[in-house]
Amino acid sequence: METLYQLLHATFANLPDWAVRVAAFLIPIGFIFAVYPAIFALTTLVERKALGRIQNRLGPNRVGIFGILQPLADGLKILLKEDIVPRVADKFTHFLAPVLIVVPGLLVYLVVPIAPGLVAVDLKVGVLFALAVGTMSVIALFMAGWASRNKFSLLGAVRAVAQVVSYEVPTVMAGVAVIMAAGSLSTLTIVERQSGGVLNISNWYVFRPWGLVGFVLFVIGGLAESARCPFDLPEAESELIGGYHTEYSGFKFALFQMGEYLAGMAMAGVTVTLFLGGYLGPGSGTGLVGRLIAMLWFFSKLAGMIALNIWIRGTWPRLRVDQLMGFAWKILLPLALVNIVAIGFWHFLTPRPVAWVVTTIWLAIWVVVLTKCNASAHLEKREYRYV
Amino acid sequence: MNIAFWIISAVAVLGAILAVSLRNLVHCVLALILFFIGIAAHYFLLHADFLGTVQILIYVGAVAILILFAIMLTHNVTGTDGPRELLGLKWWSGAAIAAMLAVLLTRAIQGDKLAATLPAGDRAQSSVAEIGKALVGGWVVPLEAIAILLTAALIGAVVIALEEIRKSR
Repeated sequence: METLYQLLHATFANLPDWAVRVAAFLIPIGFIFAVYPAIFALTTLVERKALGRIQNRLGPNRVGIFGILQPLADGLKILLKEDIVPRVADKFTHFLAPVLIVVPGLLVYLVVPIAPGLVAVDLKVGVLFALAVGTMSVIALFMAGWASRNKFSLLGAVRAVAQVVSYEVPTVMAGVAVIMAAGSLSTLTIVERQSGGVLNISNWYVFRPWGLVGFVLFVIGGLAESARCPFDLPEAESELIGGYHTEYSGFKFALFQMGEYLAGMAMAGVTVTLFLGGYLGPGSGTGLVGRLIAMLWFFSKLAGMIALNIWIRGTWPRLRVDQLMGFAWKILLPLALVNIVAIGFWHFLTPRPVAWVVTTIWLAIWVVVLTKCNASAHLEKREYRYV
Repeated sequence: MNIAFWIISAVAVLGAILAVSLRNLVHCVLALILFFIGIAAHYFLLHADFLGTVQILIYVGAVAILILFAIMLTHNVTGTDGPRELLGLKWWSGAAIAAMLAVLLTRAIQGDKLAATLPAGDRAQSSVAEIGKALVGGWVVPLEAIAILLTAALIGAVVIALEEIRKSR
Protein backbone atom coordinates (compact mmCIF):
# COMPACT_ATOMS: atom_id res chain seq x y z
CA MET A 1 0.00 0.00 0.00
CA GLU A 2 2.86 2.38 0.84
CA THR A 3 4.59 1.65 -2.44
CA LEU A 4 1.37 2.21 -4.35
CA TYR A 5 0.92 5.50 -2.51
CA GLN A 6 4.38 6.66 -3.52
CA LEU A 7 3.85 5.49 -7.10
CA LEU A 8 0.56 7.36 -7.40
CA HIS A 9 2.10 10.41 -5.78
CA ALA A 10 4.92 10.43 -8.29
CA THR A 11 2.64 9.85 -11.29
CA PHE A 12 -0.18 12.24 -10.43
CA ALA A 13 1.74 15.01 -8.70
CA ASN A 14 -1.05 17.59 -9.08
CA LEU A 15 -3.65 15.57 -7.13
CA PRO A 16 -4.25 16.48 -3.46
CA ASP A 17 -2.66 14.22 -0.87
CA TRP A 18 -5.92 12.88 0.58
CA ALA A 19 -7.14 11.78 -2.88
CA VAL A 20 -3.94 9.83 -3.43
CA ARG A 21 -4.25 8.23 0.01
CA VAL A 22 -7.85 7.17 -0.60
CA ALA A 23 -6.92 5.82 -4.02
CA ALA A 24 -3.98 3.85 -2.62
CA PHE A 25 -6.38 2.40 -0.07
CA LEU A 26 -9.21 1.56 -2.48
CA ILE A 27 -7.27 0.29 -5.50
CA PRO A 28 -5.92 -2.91 -3.85
CA ILE A 29 -9.37 -3.71 -2.43
CA GLY A 30 -11.04 -3.14 -5.79
CA PHE A 31 -8.33 -5.19 -7.46
CA ILE A 32 -8.87 -8.15 -5.11
CA PHE A 33 -12.65 -7.97 -5.50
CA ALA A 34 -12.47 -7.73 -9.29
CA VAL A 35 -9.54 -9.82 -10.42
CA TYR A 36 -9.69 -12.96 -8.29
CA PRO A 37 -13.43 -13.65 -8.79
CA ALA A 38 -12.83 -13.08 -12.51
CA ILE A 39 -10.04 -15.68 -12.39
CA PHE A 40 -12.49 -17.94 -10.54
CA ALA A 41 -15.05 -17.60 -13.34
CA LEU A 42 -12.42 -18.39 -15.95
CA THR A 43 -11.10 -21.28 -13.86
CA THR A 44 -14.50 -23.00 -13.81
CA LEU A 45 -14.52 -22.97 -17.60
CA VAL A 46 -10.89 -24.07 -17.94
CA GLU A 47 -11.45 -26.82 -15.37
CA ARG A 48 -14.49 -28.18 -17.18
CA LYS A 49 -12.65 -28.09 -20.50
CA ALA A 50 -9.54 -29.76 -19.05
CA LEU A 51 -11.54 -32.43 -17.21
CA GLY A 52 -13.42 -33.07 -20.45
CA ARG A 53 -10.12 -33.50 -22.26
CA ILE A 54 -8.84 -35.90 -19.55
CA GLN A 55 -12.09 -37.89 -19.73
CA ASN A 56 -12.02 -37.95 -23.53
CA ARG A 57 -15.00 -35.67 -24.16
CA LEU A 58 -15.41 -32.12 -25.38
CA GLY A 59 -16.58 -30.15 -22.36
CA PRO A 60 -18.74 -27.02 -22.69
CA ASN A 61 -18.56 -25.65 -26.25
CA ARG A 62 -22.01 -24.23 -27.00
CA VAL A 63 -22.02 -20.72 -25.50
CA GLY A 64 -19.73 -18.41 -27.41
CA ILE A 65 -16.62 -19.51 -29.24
CA PHE A 66 -14.94 -22.46 -27.40
CA GLY A 67 -17.65 -22.05 -24.75
CA ILE A 68 -15.97 -18.87 -23.49
CA LEU A 69 -19.27 -17.37 -22.29
CA GLN A 70 -20.15 -20.46 -20.27
CA PRO A 71 -19.36 -18.89 -16.84
CA LEU A 72 -21.70 -16.00 -17.69
CA ALA A 73 -24.47 -18.39 -18.71
CA ASP A 74 -23.92 -20.44 -15.56
CA GLY A 75 -24.13 -17.33 -13.39
CA LEU A 76 -27.32 -16.17 -15.08
CA LYS A 77 -28.92 -19.60 -14.79
CA ILE A 78 -28.04 -19.96 -11.14
CA LEU A 79 -29.42 -16.49 -10.32
CA LEU A 80 -32.80 -17.52 -11.73
CA LYS A 81 -32.99 -20.73 -9.71
CA GLU A 82 -35.32 -21.05 -6.76
CA ASP A 83 -33.77 -20.68 -3.34
CA ILE A 84 -35.00 -23.55 -1.18
CA VAL A 85 -34.52 -23.58 2.60
CA PRO A 86 -35.50 -26.74 4.51
CA ARG A 87 -38.41 -26.21 6.91
CA VAL A 88 -36.53 -27.52 9.95
CA ALA A 89 -33.30 -25.74 9.10
CA ASP A 90 -31.74 -23.27 11.49
CA LYS A 91 -32.71 -20.33 9.28
CA PHE A 92 -30.20 -17.68 10.35
CA THR A 93 -27.14 -19.95 10.38
CA HIS A 94 -28.29 -21.56 7.14
CA PHE A 95 -28.40 -18.12 5.53
CA LEU A 96 -25.13 -16.89 7.01
CA ALA A 97 -22.92 -19.85 6.01
CA PRO A 98 -22.72 -19.20 2.22
CA VAL A 99 -22.11 -15.51 2.90
CA LEU A 100 -19.20 -16.21 5.23
CA ILE A 101 -17.59 -18.90 3.08
CA VAL A 102 -16.27 -16.36 0.56
CA VAL A 103 -14.61 -14.10 3.17
CA PRO A 104 -11.53 -16.14 4.26
CA GLY A 105 -10.46 -16.81 0.68
CA LEU A 106 -10.57 -13.11 -0.15
CA LEU A 107 -8.74 -12.13 3.07
CA VAL A 108 -5.74 -14.30 2.17
CA TYR A 109 -5.14 -12.27 -1.01
CA LEU A 110 -4.47 -9.22 1.19
CA VAL A 111 -0.98 -10.51 2.00
CA VAL A 112 -0.07 -12.13 -1.35
CA PRO A 113 2.33 -9.80 -3.18
CA ILE A 114 1.82 -9.53 -6.95
CA ALA A 115 4.78 -7.27 -7.81
CA PRO A 116 7.72 -5.66 -5.94
CA GLY A 117 6.14 -3.64 -3.12
CA LEU A 118 2.63 -4.21 -4.43
CA VAL A 119 0.74 -6.02 -1.70
CA ALA A 120 -2.55 -4.85 -0.24
CA VAL A 121 -1.30 -4.96 3.36
CA ASP A 122 2.37 -5.53 4.14
CA LEU A 123 1.77 -7.29 7.44
CA LYS A 124 4.84 -8.11 9.52
CA VAL A 125 3.32 -11.57 10.03
CA GLY A 126 1.89 -12.04 6.54
CA VAL A 127 2.55 -15.78 6.19
CA LEU A 128 1.02 -16.57 9.57
CA PHE A 129 -1.98 -14.39 8.71
CA ALA A 130 -2.55 -16.25 5.44
CA LEU A 131 -2.33 -19.63 7.17
CA ALA A 132 -4.58 -18.56 10.06
CA VAL A 133 -7.28 -16.93 7.96
CA GLY A 134 -7.23 -19.67 5.33
CA THR A 135 -8.57 -22.23 7.79
CA MET A 136 -11.45 -20.04 8.95
CA SER A 137 -13.59 -21.22 6.04
CA VAL A 138 -14.17 -24.46 7.94
CA ILE A 139 -16.43 -22.56 10.36
CA ALA A 140 -18.70 -21.64 7.46
CA LEU A 141 -18.63 -25.26 6.27
CA PHE A 142 -19.63 -26.40 9.74
CA MET A 143 -22.45 -23.83 9.91
CA ALA A 144 -23.77 -25.01 6.56
CA GLY A 145 -23.71 -28.68 7.46
CA TRP A 146 -25.06 -28.20 10.96
CA ALA A 147 -27.85 -25.75 10.10
CA SER A 148 -29.23 -27.95 7.32
CA ARG A 149 -30.53 -30.51 9.87
CA ASN A 150 -29.68 -33.29 7.48
CA LYS A 151 -27.61 -36.36 8.29
CA PHE A 152 -25.59 -36.21 5.10
CA SER A 153 -24.89 -32.52 5.59
CA LEU A 154 -23.81 -33.09 9.19
CA LEU A 155 -21.51 -35.95 8.17
CA GLY A 156 -19.98 -33.66 5.57
CA ALA A 157 -19.44 -30.99 8.21
CA VAL A 158 -17.83 -33.50 10.62
CA ARG A 159 -15.50 -34.63 7.86
CA ALA A 160 -14.64 -31.06 6.87
CA VAL A 161 -13.74 -30.06 10.42
CA ALA A 162 -11.67 -33.19 11.09
CA GLN A 163 -9.87 -32.85 7.79
CA VAL A 164 -9.00 -29.18 8.10
CA VAL A 165 -7.84 -29.52 11.72
CA SER A 166 -5.58 -32.43 10.73
CA TYR A 167 -4.06 -30.92 7.61
CA GLU A 168 -3.57 -27.49 9.13
CA VAL A 169 -0.71 -28.86 11.28
CA PRO A 170 1.61 -30.18 8.52
CA THR A 171 0.84 -27.19 6.31
CA VAL A 172 1.85 -24.70 8.98
CA MET A 173 4.95 -26.79 9.78
CA ALA A 174 5.93 -26.79 6.09
CA GLY A 175 5.56 -23.01 6.15
CA VAL A 176 7.79 -22.82 9.24
CA ALA A 177 10.75 -24.16 7.22
CA VAL A 178 10.41 -21.26 4.75
CA ILE A 179 10.00 -18.75 7.58
CA MET A 180 13.21 -20.05 9.17
CA ALA A 181 15.09 -19.89 5.87
CA ALA A 182 13.97 -16.35 5.09
CA GLY A 183 14.21 -15.16 8.69
CA SER A 184 11.00 -13.21 8.28
CA LEU A 185 7.24 -13.61 8.45
CA SER A 186 6.56 -10.91 5.88
CA THR A 187 5.52 -12.22 2.46
CA LEU A 188 7.35 -9.42 0.66
CA THR A 189 10.62 -10.17 2.47
CA ILE A 190 10.27 -13.90 1.80
CA VAL A 191 9.88 -13.25 -1.92
CA GLU A 192 12.83 -10.84 -1.94
CA ARG A 193 15.04 -13.47 -0.23
CA GLN A 194 14.44 -15.74 -3.24
CA SER A 195 15.74 -13.19 -5.75
CA GLY A 196 19.07 -13.39 -7.56
CA GLY A 197 20.76 -16.49 -8.91
CA VAL A 198 20.51 -17.66 -12.50
CA LEU A 199 17.78 -15.71 -14.33
CA ASN A 200 16.18 -14.81 -10.98
CA ILE A 201 14.96 -18.43 -10.90
CA SER A 202 17.62 -20.65 -9.31
CA ASN A 203 17.17 -19.13 -5.83
CA TRP A 204 13.50 -20.08 -5.52
CA TYR A 205 13.01 -22.16 -2.41
CA VAL A 206 11.52 -25.01 -4.42
CA PHE A 207 15.01 -25.65 -5.83
CA ARG A 208 16.37 -26.60 -2.39
CA PRO A 209 16.08 -30.09 -0.90
CA TRP A 210 14.00 -28.87 2.05
CA GLY A 211 12.10 -26.50 -0.24
CA LEU A 212 11.03 -29.29 -2.56
CA VAL A 213 9.77 -31.36 0.37
CA GLY A 214 8.04 -28.30 1.82
CA PHE A 215 6.49 -27.49 -1.55
CA VAL A 216 5.01 -30.97 -1.90
CA LEU A 217 3.72 -30.87 1.70
CA PHE A 218 2.24 -27.42 1.16
CA VAL A 219 0.50 -28.32 -2.10
CA ILE A 220 -1.03 -31.43 -0.52
CA GLY A 221 -2.04 -29.49 2.58
CA GLY A 222 -3.51 -26.71 0.45
CA LEU A 223 -5.60 -29.18 -1.54
CA ALA A 224 -6.85 -30.78 1.68
CA GLU A 225 -7.64 -27.49 3.42
CA SER A 226 -9.66 -26.19 0.51
CA ALA A 227 -11.33 -29.63 0.23
CA ARG A 228 -10.27 -30.08 -3.37
CA CYS A 229 -10.00 -33.44 -5.08
CA PRO A 230 -8.54 -35.94 -4.06
CA PHE A 231 -9.43 -34.64 -0.59
CA ASP A 232 -13.05 -33.68 -1.33
CA LEU A 233 -14.48 -36.08 1.24
CA PRO A 234 -16.69 -33.41 2.90
CA GLU A 235 -18.75 -33.27 -0.31
CA ALA A 236 -18.16 -36.79 -1.58
CA GLU A 237 -21.12 -37.14 -3.92
CA SER A 238 -20.92 -40.93 -4.07
CA GLU A 239 -21.36 -41.25 -0.29
CA LEU A 240 -22.86 -38.03 1.06
CA ILE A 241 -24.94 -36.72 -1.90
CA GLY A 242 -23.38 -33.25 -1.67
CA GLY A 243 -22.04 -33.17 1.86
CA TYR A 244 -22.44 -29.83 3.61
CA HIS A 245 -24.06 -28.13 0.62
CA THR A 246 -26.73 -30.78 0.04
CA GLU A 247 -29.49 -28.43 1.21
CA TYR A 248 -28.37 -25.39 -0.74
CA SER A 249 -29.71 -24.31 -4.10
CA GLY A 250 -29.53 -21.34 -6.39
CA PHE A 251 -26.98 -18.66 -5.78
CA LYS A 252 -26.11 -19.93 -2.30
CA PHE A 253 -24.78 -23.09 -3.94
CA ALA A 254 -22.78 -20.93 -6.34
CA LEU A 255 -21.30 -19.08 -3.36
CA PHE A 256 -20.09 -22.41 -1.94
CA GLN A 257 -18.39 -23.20 -5.24
CA MET A 258 -16.89 -19.71 -5.29
CA GLY A 259 -15.63 -20.01 -1.73
CA GLU A 260 -14.01 -23.35 -2.46
CA TYR A 261 -12.28 -22.07 -5.60
CA LEU A 262 -11.19 -18.80 -3.97
CA ALA A 263 -9.70 -20.71 -1.04
CA GLY A 264 -7.92 -23.11 -3.40
CA MET A 265 -6.55 -20.23 -5.46
CA ALA A 266 -5.50 -18.42 -2.28
CA MET A 267 -3.53 -21.47 -1.15
CA ALA A 268 -2.00 -21.63 -4.65
CA GLY A 269 -1.04 -17.96 -4.31
CA VAL A 270 0.58 -18.56 -0.91
CA THR A 271 2.43 -21.58 -2.35
CA VAL A 272 3.73 -19.44 -5.21
CA THR A 273 4.85 -16.80 -2.71
CA LEU A 274 6.59 -19.18 -0.35
CA PHE A 275 8.20 -21.65 -2.72
CA LEU A 276 8.02 -20.49 -6.34
CA GLY A 277 9.56 -17.06 -5.85
CA GLY A 278 6.28 -15.10 -5.99
CA TYR A 279 6.56 -12.42 -8.65
CA LEU A 280 10.26 -13.10 -9.37
CA GLY A 281 11.44 -14.20 -12.77
CA PRO A 282 13.61 -13.03 -15.68
CA GLY A 283 12.87 -9.33 -16.25
CA SER A 284 11.03 -8.59 -13.02
CA GLY A 285 12.14 -5.40 -11.33
CA THR A 286 11.02 -2.23 -9.60
CA GLY A 287 10.50 0.00 -12.65
CA LEU A 288 7.10 0.28 -14.35
CA VAL A 289 8.00 -2.30 -17.00
CA GLY A 290 9.71 -4.49 -14.41
CA ARG A 291 6.61 -4.40 -12.20
CA LEU A 292 4.34 -5.32 -15.12
CA ILE A 293 6.61 -8.25 -16.01
CA ALA A 294 6.62 -9.26 -12.32
CA MET A 295 2.79 -9.26 -12.30
CA LEU A 296 2.83 -11.37 -15.44
CA TRP A 297 5.17 -13.82 -13.71
CA PHE A 298 3.01 -14.01 -10.61
CA PHE A 299 -0.21 -14.65 -12.48
CA SER A 300 1.51 -17.16 -14.81
CA LYS A 301 2.69 -19.11 -11.78
CA LEU A 302 -0.76 -18.87 -10.23
CA ALA A 303 -2.25 -20.21 -13.45
CA GLY A 304 0.31 -23.00 -13.39
CA MET A 305 -0.67 -23.97 -9.86
CA ILE A 306 -4.37 -23.90 -10.80
CA ALA A 307 -3.58 -26.12 -13.78
CA LEU A 308 -1.76 -28.52 -11.45
CA ASN A 309 -4.84 -28.63 -9.21
CA ILE A 310 -7.09 -29.42 -12.17
CA TRP A 311 -4.69 -32.08 -13.40
CA ILE A 312 -4.66 -33.72 -9.96
CA ARG A 313 -8.45 -33.58 -9.80
CA GLY A 314 -8.79 -35.20 -13.19
CA THR A 315 -6.41 -38.06 -12.53
CA TRP A 316 -6.57 -39.12 -8.89
CA PRO A 317 -9.34 -41.02 -7.10
CA ARG A 318 -10.69 -39.79 -3.78
CA LEU A 319 -9.06 -41.04 -0.57
CA ARG A 320 -10.88 -43.11 2.04
CA VAL A 321 -11.45 -41.48 5.43
CA ASP A 322 -8.90 -43.70 7.25
CA GLN A 323 -6.36 -43.12 4.48
CA LEU A 324 -6.96 -39.39 4.75
CA MET A 325 -6.29 -39.25 8.49
CA GLY A 326 -3.38 -41.71 8.38
CA PHE A 327 -1.75 -39.73 5.59
CA ALA A 328 -1.88 -36.49 7.55
CA TRP A 329 -0.67 -37.79 10.91
CA LYS A 330 1.65 -40.65 9.95
CA ILE A 331 3.37 -39.28 6.86
CA LEU A 332 2.92 -35.55 6.35
CA LEU A 333 3.40 -34.40 9.97
CA PRO A 334 6.63 -36.42 10.62
CA LEU A 335 7.98 -35.30 7.26
CA ALA A 336 7.23 -31.66 8.10
CA LEU A 337 9.03 -31.99 11.45
CA VAL A 338 12.02 -33.67 9.79
CA ASN A 339 12.03 -30.86 7.24
CA ILE A 340 12.44 -28.33 10.05
CA VAL A 341 15.57 -30.21 11.18
CA ALA A 342 16.76 -30.20 7.57
CA ILE A 343 16.53 -26.41 7.39
CA GLY A 344 18.68 -26.35 10.54
CA PHE A 345 21.36 -28.40 8.78
CA TRP A 346 21.05 -26.13 5.75
CA HIS A 347 21.56 -23.02 7.85
CA PHE A 348 24.57 -24.14 9.88
CA LEU A 349 26.55 -26.39 7.52
CA THR A 350 29.16 -24.71 5.33
CA PRO A 351 30.19 -24.75 2.53
CA ARG A 352 27.00 -24.95 0.49
CA PRO A 353 27.71 -28.29 -1.32
CA VAL A 354 28.08 -30.04 2.07
CA ALA A 355 24.72 -28.63 3.15
CA TRP A 356 23.19 -29.83 -0.12
CA VAL A 357 24.48 -33.38 0.33
CA VAL A 358 23.61 -33.66 4.03
CA THR A 359 20.07 -32.27 3.76
CA THR A 360 19.32 -34.37 0.68
CA ILE A 361 20.52 -37.59 2.35
CA TRP A 362 18.69 -36.73 5.62
CA LEU A 363 15.41 -36.07 3.83
CA ALA A 364 15.78 -39.06 1.49
CA ILE A 365 16.33 -41.41 4.44
CA TRP A 366 13.20 -40.16 6.15
CA VAL A 367 11.07 -40.28 3.02
CA VAL A 368 12.08 -43.93 2.54
CA VAL A 369 11.55 -44.79 6.24
CA LEU A 370 8.13 -43.16 6.37
CA THR A 371 6.95 -44.81 3.17
CA LYS A 372 8.21 -48.24 4.28
CA CYS A 373 6.68 -47.95 7.75
CA ASN A 374 3.33 -46.87 6.36
CA ALA A 375 3.12 -49.28 3.46
CA SER A 376 -0.38 -50.70 3.57
CA ALA A 377 -0.75 -54.42 4.21
CA HIS A 378 -1.07 -56.58 1.15
CA LEU A 379 -4.77 -57.32 0.80
CA GLU A 380 -6.17 -60.67 -0.15
CA LYS A 381 -7.84 -60.88 -3.50
CA ARG A 382 -11.52 -60.21 -2.93
CA GLU A 383 -14.31 -61.89 -4.78
CA TYR A 384 -17.72 -60.38 -5.27
CA ARG A 385 -20.63 -62.61 -6.12
CA TYR A 386 -23.92 -61.30 -7.28
CA VAL A 387 -26.75 -63.78 -6.90
CA MET B 1 -9.76 5.96 20.66
CA ASN B 2 -11.24 6.25 17.23
CA ILE B 3 -14.26 5.07 15.27
CA ALA B 4 -12.73 1.67 14.47
CA PHE B 5 -12.16 1.04 18.18
CA TRP B 6 -15.83 1.64 18.99
CA ILE B 7 -17.16 -0.44 16.09
CA ILE B 8 -14.89 -3.38 16.92
CA SER B 9 -15.69 -3.07 20.62
CA ALA B 10 -19.42 -3.07 19.90
CA VAL B 11 -19.09 -6.23 17.79
CA ALA B 12 -16.92 -7.96 20.39
CA VAL B 13 -19.24 -7.06 23.28
CA LEU B 14 -22.25 -8.18 21.24
CA GLY B 15 -20.50 -11.51 20.59
CA ALA B 16 -19.67 -11.93 24.27
CA ILE B 17 -23.23 -11.14 25.41
CA LEU B 18 -24.71 -13.50 22.82
CA ALA B 19 -22.26 -16.24 23.81
CA VAL B 20 -23.60 -16.30 27.38
CA SER B 21 -27.26 -15.54 26.66
CA LEU B 22 -28.20 -17.67 23.64
CA ARG B 23 -29.99 -20.92 24.44
CA ASN B 24 -28.53 -23.10 21.71
CA LEU B 25 -25.03 -24.38 22.47
CA VAL B 26 -23.82 -24.20 18.87
CA HIS B 27 -25.11 -20.64 18.52
CA CYS B 28 -23.16 -19.80 21.67
CA VAL B 29 -19.94 -21.14 20.16
CA LEU B 30 -20.54 -19.20 16.94
CA ALA B 31 -21.08 -16.03 19.00
CA LEU B 32 -17.87 -16.85 20.89
CA ILE B 33 -16.04 -17.01 17.55
CA LEU B 34 -17.38 -13.53 16.75
CA PHE B 35 -15.98 -12.35 20.08
CA PHE B 36 -12.58 -13.96 19.37
CA ILE B 37 -12.42 -12.24 16.00
CA GLY B 38 -13.32 -8.94 17.63
CA ILE B 39 -10.43 -9.36 20.09
CA ALA B 40 -8.10 -10.23 17.20
CA ALA B 41 -9.22 -7.06 15.41
CA HIS B 42 -8.39 -5.09 18.57
CA TYR B 43 -4.87 -6.52 18.55
CA PHE B 44 -4.48 -5.52 14.91
CA LEU B 45 -5.71 -2.05 15.78
CA LEU B 46 -3.01 -1.83 18.45
CA HIS B 47 -0.37 -2.85 15.84
CA ALA B 48 0.14 -6.17 17.65
CA ASP B 49 -0.01 -8.08 14.35
CA PHE B 50 1.53 -11.22 15.76
CA LEU B 51 -0.83 -11.43 18.72
CA GLY B 52 -3.85 -10.81 16.47
CA THR B 53 -2.82 -13.51 14.01
CA VAL B 54 -2.11 -16.00 16.77
CA GLN B 55 -5.49 -15.16 18.32
CA ILE B 56 -7.14 -16.18 15.02
CA LEU B 57 -4.90 -19.22 14.52
CA ILE B 58 -5.29 -20.62 18.05
CA TYR B 59 -8.68 -19.45 19.30
CA VAL B 60 -10.72 -19.36 16.08
CA GLY B 61 -8.79 -22.00 14.15
CA ALA B 62 -8.24 -24.51 16.94
CA VAL B 63 -10.14 -23.89 20.21
CA ALA B 64 -13.52 -22.96 18.72
CA ILE B 65 -13.25 -25.67 16.07
CA LEU B 66 -12.48 -28.28 18.72
CA ILE B 67 -15.50 -27.17 20.80
CA LEU B 68 -17.69 -27.50 17.69
CA PHE B 69 -16.15 -30.88 16.95
CA ALA B 70 -16.79 -32.07 20.49
CA ILE B 71 -20.45 -30.96 20.26
CA MET B 72 -20.80 -32.83 16.97
CA LEU B 73 -19.58 -36.04 18.57
CA THR B 74 -22.13 -35.84 21.40
CA HIS B 75 -25.67 -37.18 21.33
CA ASN B 76 -27.33 -33.75 21.47
CA VAL B 77 -25.89 -32.55 18.18
CA THR B 78 -28.56 -29.96 17.40
CA GLY B 79 -27.48 -28.18 20.59
CA THR B 80 -31.03 -27.57 21.86
CA ASP B 81 -31.08 -27.04 25.59
CA GLY B 82 -33.36 -28.01 28.47
CA PRO B 83 -35.57 -25.60 30.42
CA ARG B 84 -34.11 -22.23 31.34
CA GLU B 85 -32.68 -22.01 34.83
CA LEU B 86 -32.88 -18.45 36.19
CA LEU B 87 -30.92 -17.13 39.15
CA GLY B 88 -29.91 -20.58 40.34
CA LEU B 89 -26.70 -21.53 42.14
CA LYS B 90 -24.77 -21.70 38.86
CA TRP B 91 -25.84 -18.18 37.95
CA TRP B 92 -24.75 -16.70 41.29
CA SER B 93 -21.39 -18.51 41.33
CA GLY B 94 -20.73 -17.40 37.75
CA ALA B 95 -21.62 -13.83 38.63
CA ALA B 96 -19.31 -13.92 41.66
CA ILE B 97 -16.37 -15.16 39.56
CA ALA B 98 -17.06 -12.53 36.89
CA ALA B 99 -17.18 -9.77 39.51
CA MET B 100 -13.90 -10.91 41.06
CA LEU B 101 -12.24 -11.03 37.62
CA ALA B 102 -13.56 -7.55 36.80
CA VAL B 103 -12.12 -6.12 40.05
CA LEU B 104 -8.79 -7.85 39.44
CA LEU B 105 -8.51 -6.62 35.85
CA THR B 106 -9.53 -3.08 36.75
CA ARG B 107 -6.90 -2.92 39.48
CA ALA B 108 -4.26 -4.36 37.13
CA ILE B 109 -5.02 -1.85 34.38
CA GLN B 110 -5.20 1.09 36.80
CA GLY B 111 -1.81 0.27 38.29
CA ASP B 112 1.05 1.59 36.16
CA LYS B 113 3.00 -1.70 36.22
CA LEU B 114 1.54 -2.88 32.90
CA ALA B 115 2.55 0.26 31.05
CA ALA B 116 6.08 0.05 32.44
CA THR B 117 6.66 -3.44 30.99
CA LEU B 118 5.98 -2.34 27.42
CA PRO B 119 9.22 -2.12 25.41
CA ALA B 120 10.27 1.28 24.19
CA GLY B 121 10.78 2.22 20.56
CA ASP B 122 8.90 1.13 17.47
CA ARG B 123 6.83 -1.70 18.91
CA ALA B 124 4.98 -2.49 15.69
CA GLN B 125 8.23 -3.27 13.90
CA SER B 126 9.78 -5.64 16.37
CA SER B 127 7.05 -7.44 18.29
CA VAL B 128 7.64 -10.87 16.66
CA ALA B 129 11.40 -10.76 17.09
CA GLU B 130 11.05 -9.52 20.69
CA ILE B 131 8.63 -12.30 21.58
CA GLY B 132 10.87 -14.89 19.93
CA LYS B 133 13.99 -13.68 21.74
CA ALA B 134 12.16 -13.58 25.07
CA LEU B 135 10.86 -17.13 24.59
CA VAL B 136 14.30 -18.66 23.94
CA GLY B 137 16.01 -16.28 26.35
CA GLY B 138 14.66 -15.49 29.78
CA TRP B 139 11.51 -17.57 29.45
CA VAL B 140 13.11 -20.72 28.10
CA VAL B 141 12.53 -22.77 31.28
CA PRO B 142 8.76 -22.06 31.50
CA LEU B 143 8.53 -22.73 27.75
CA GLU B 144 10.18 -26.13 28.14
CA ALA B 145 8.00 -26.90 31.15
CA ILE B 146 4.89 -26.19 29.04
CA ALA B 147 6.34 -28.40 26.28
CA ILE B 148 6.74 -31.30 28.74
CA LEU B 149 3.23 -30.73 30.10
CA LEU B 150 1.74 -30.78 26.59
CA THR B 151 3.68 -33.91 25.65
CA ALA B 152 2.41 -35.62 28.80
CA ALA B 153 -1.16 -34.57 27.97
CA LEU B 154 -0.75 -35.90 24.43
CA ILE B 155 0.57 -39.27 25.61
CA GLY B 156 -2.21 -39.39 28.21
CA ALA B 157 -4.84 -38.83 25.52
CA VAL B 158 -3.38 -41.64 23.41
CA VAL B 159 -3.30 -43.98 26.43
CA ILE B 160 -6.95 -43.24 27.26
CA ALA B 161 -7.95 -43.82 23.63
CA LEU B 162 -6.03 -47.12 23.52
CA GLU B 163 -7.72 -48.25 26.74
CA GLU B 164 -11.14 -47.78 25.17
CA ILE B 165 -10.14 -49.71 22.06
CA ARG B 166 -8.89 -52.58 24.26
CA LYS B 167 -12.15 -52.63 26.25
CA SER B 168 -14.29 -52.72 23.14
CA ARG B 169 -12.50 -55.81 21.83
